[in-house]
Amino acid sequence: MSAHPSTDQHPATTPASGTPLLEVTDLAVEFRTPDGAVRAVDGLSYRVEAGRTLAIVGESGSGKSVSSLAVMGLLPDNARVTRGSVRLAGTDLLALSRKEHRARCGEQVAMVFQDALAALNPVHPVGYQLTEALRARRGLSRGDARKRAVELLDLVKVPNAKARIKEYPHQFSGGMRQRVMIASALAMDPDVLIADEPTTALDVTVQAQVLRLLAEIQAERQMGLVLITHDLGVVAGVADDVTVMYAGRAVEQAPVVPVYTTPAHPYTRALLRSIPSAAGTGRLPVIPGRPPSPAAMPSGCPFHPRCDAVRDVCRTEVPPLATPAPGRTSACHFAADIMAGREPAAADADAVGPTDADPAAVEHRDGHAMAADQATVPTLDDQDTGGSDD
Amino acid sequence: MTEPVLEVRDLVKHYPVRNGLLRRSVGAVKAVDGVSLSLGRGRTLGLVGESGSGKSTLARVLVGIETPTSGEVLVDGEDVTRLNRAGRKQLRRDVQMVFQDPYTSLNPRMSVSEIVGEPFAIHGIDPAGGRRTAVGELLELVGLDPDHANRYPHQFSGGQRQRVGIARALALRPKILVCDEPVSALDVSVQGQVINLLEGLQDELGLSYLFVAHDLGVVRHIAHDVAVMYLGRIVEEGPETEVYDAAQHPYTQALLSAVPVPDPSVRLVPAGGSPPVESGVSTGSTNGERSTNGVGSTNGVGTTAVRRLPIVLEGDPPSPVDPPSGCPFHTRCWLAPTLPEAQPDPIPSYPPTDRPDAGLRLVPSVCETEVPALDAHPGAGRAGTPTDPADSAASHVVACHFARELIVPGVGA
Repeated sequence: MSAHPSTDQHPATTPASGTPLLEVTDLAVEFRTPDGAVRAVDGLSYRVEAGRTLAIVGESGSGKSVSSLAVMGLLPDNARVTRGSVRLAGTDLLALSRKEHRARCGEQVAMVFQDALAALNPVHPVGYQLTEALRARRGLSRGDARKRAVELLDLVKVPNAKARIKEYPHQFSGGMRQRVMIASALAMDPDVLIADEPTTALDVTVQAQVLRLLAEIQAERQMGLVLITHDLGVVAGVADDVTVMYAGRAVEQAPVVPVYTTPAHPYTRALLRSIPSAAGTGRLPVIPGRPPSPAAMPSGCPFHPRCDAVRDVCRTEVPPLATPAPGRTSACHFAADIMAGREPAAADADAVGPTDADPAAVEHRDGHAMAADQATVPTLDDQDTGGSDD
Repeated sequence: MTEPVLEVRDLVKHYPVRNGLLRRSVGAVKAVDGVSLSLGRGRTLGLVGESGSGKSTLARVLVGIETPTSGEVLVDGEDVTRLNRAGRKQLRRDVQMVFQDPYTSLNPRMSVSEIVGEPFAIHGIDPAGGRRTAVGELLELVGLDPDHANRYPHQFSGGQRQRVGIARALALRPKILVCDEPVSALDVSVQGQVINLLEGLQDELGLSYLFVAHDLGVVRHIAHDVAVMYLGRIVEEGPETEVYDAAQHPYTQALLSAVPVPDPSVRLVPAGGSPPVESGVSTGSTNGERSTNGVGSTNGVGTTAVRRLPIVLEGDPPSPVDPPSGCPFHTRCWLAPTLPEAQPDPIPSYPPTDRPDAGLRLVPSVCETEVPALDAHPGAGRAGTPTDPADSAASHVVACHFARELIVPGVGA
């Protein structure tokens, strides 16, 4: 996408040069569970353009990983897309057969997973795995594949690539393994790279190396990058656009700077406040309670039980997607007020239900509040937490 | 500063590496290699470092899960490393641990009341008012509903499970809690709740914490004093503000600069333009040039940003089986090659497969030959008084031959 002088603050207003690389519209994904259908993603839309980085931010269970599996056609058997489209360079992938879907994705979209040790096959040398796709799809000979594997490892700055293609994943350190993952994602020269928590398992110094490497490769190849993460520090450092997800929905979408300076959704605002900072002494401002289980979604706005600006309307009505500023969306009844830093005008300011200005009070109460909703044993969100947030 | 409740002197923990048919010891993993630190009563000492730096091993030695190879651990002035079995059991009443993963550190077959009440059973204690009441009080203390005592761990969320783990650790009224990454497995919004709980408990019960974490932002928030570990040694220690705002060790500086800052005006990835860093700082790693026009950073970040480039360290930490000679950090140090004292290094001191450029890297010979002592460098920054061993937590000490104050400004979580 080309720069537009008048849109310095709000690039998303210029749908820009032609079609985006990847466009997800109104995506909804359901899981079949013994207790009935559970909606993990509900009406997610985003677009990825060449050379830009879209960060999808959310806690475990927010649907951020499930939505990318849907894009890749990698959903587990008990999940299905119930609504929406995923257009890759104009073609709706969801209209294709599963086989065609994966074939298209294999050529143009690649994915990097969080846990490189689990994603790599322990019984094959990394060189063999790097070029598996090339041999299968392009029919490369073994000699050519080996040459290409060395090139790929050189590209991701793995030292001594020639010798290392013969080694096995366990012989690589965490950071080097993640580089191997990135190299194998780049093997088919994809247009779009989806990276699901690529640096969560790494130390900060190694994280910095990997993030820098990703940015370099992206700039060089003009790839579109979808970065799925829970770390708002990483987002601020590398993203161009941000989608904040909560309970399967995109609650806020905006370019990176205004998300941090003038968040337009109370969840975004609360997340930013809850980051420990140097200035903050005393108690951290926290979000009381925990994300809802997709099996027991609250009425109205899904965030209302934890919101510090909740009003009556929030408990009954699902907020429409507001456009508080050009190029920004927020799923909040009071998006404009939140963005301006005002208290939402309200008829019942004193009827602010489960929240409290005093974090300590909330702190002690939330245990009980959380325990109260235990009738529904958490399903998706807990599995997700166990696997991904170590 | 008050008398330290916990003092560690020259603690060493080596694990033998065995090989061959006869399982002969062929070397040792030097997980903790001469660590001294002290924890003041009612204070929090943050212990940070990368994975493999030995911080978890140190924590496990302190609670008596591992026995040290050598060195002393003094709890209230008594050396606990020479204790017999009964003595160690007594130690555990004073020093308890909160584990990282609330999914694996609670027995799934035990109810919450059994988990929290187990320490009473093990130590044969009958708390006043009965065990059941005591468990209820503990659950209330950590913000859980005592009515849920009969539930099982799988019925709780991650944050609630971590509260159960904290209640269990508090059962015996310990003086010291050793928290090994207590919030890193939790969601961001739940992390804050657990941190607040720990801080509240400290005020209420006068606990002292050793807080092990890799998240520098969390440590900055909760800790009074901070110790930075690298390859089994402490490379810098001091009050939180000193270490974060006036770091003197090049490793601490690199670590701090690598922490992603949640502010898009300080970009981790350079958004165009030449990097304002000395060439020696980020050797070999070319910066991603992202021109505002070509890449399409139309949100103004590319042009208006205050750029903050991280000091990117090369490679991974060396193996603790075969740590480098001299200063353990010299193989990755970004500062050493820029020093006028840097001399040609004819013999690669580290396995050449990992460092093809080992012979080309110039570092001062003193870094390669002498292990730097953990000393105060008052001239290097705002560091305070010279070290008094009994009061070391109050002063800023650093193990570097060339300690100097942070050269990259604006760093910190």
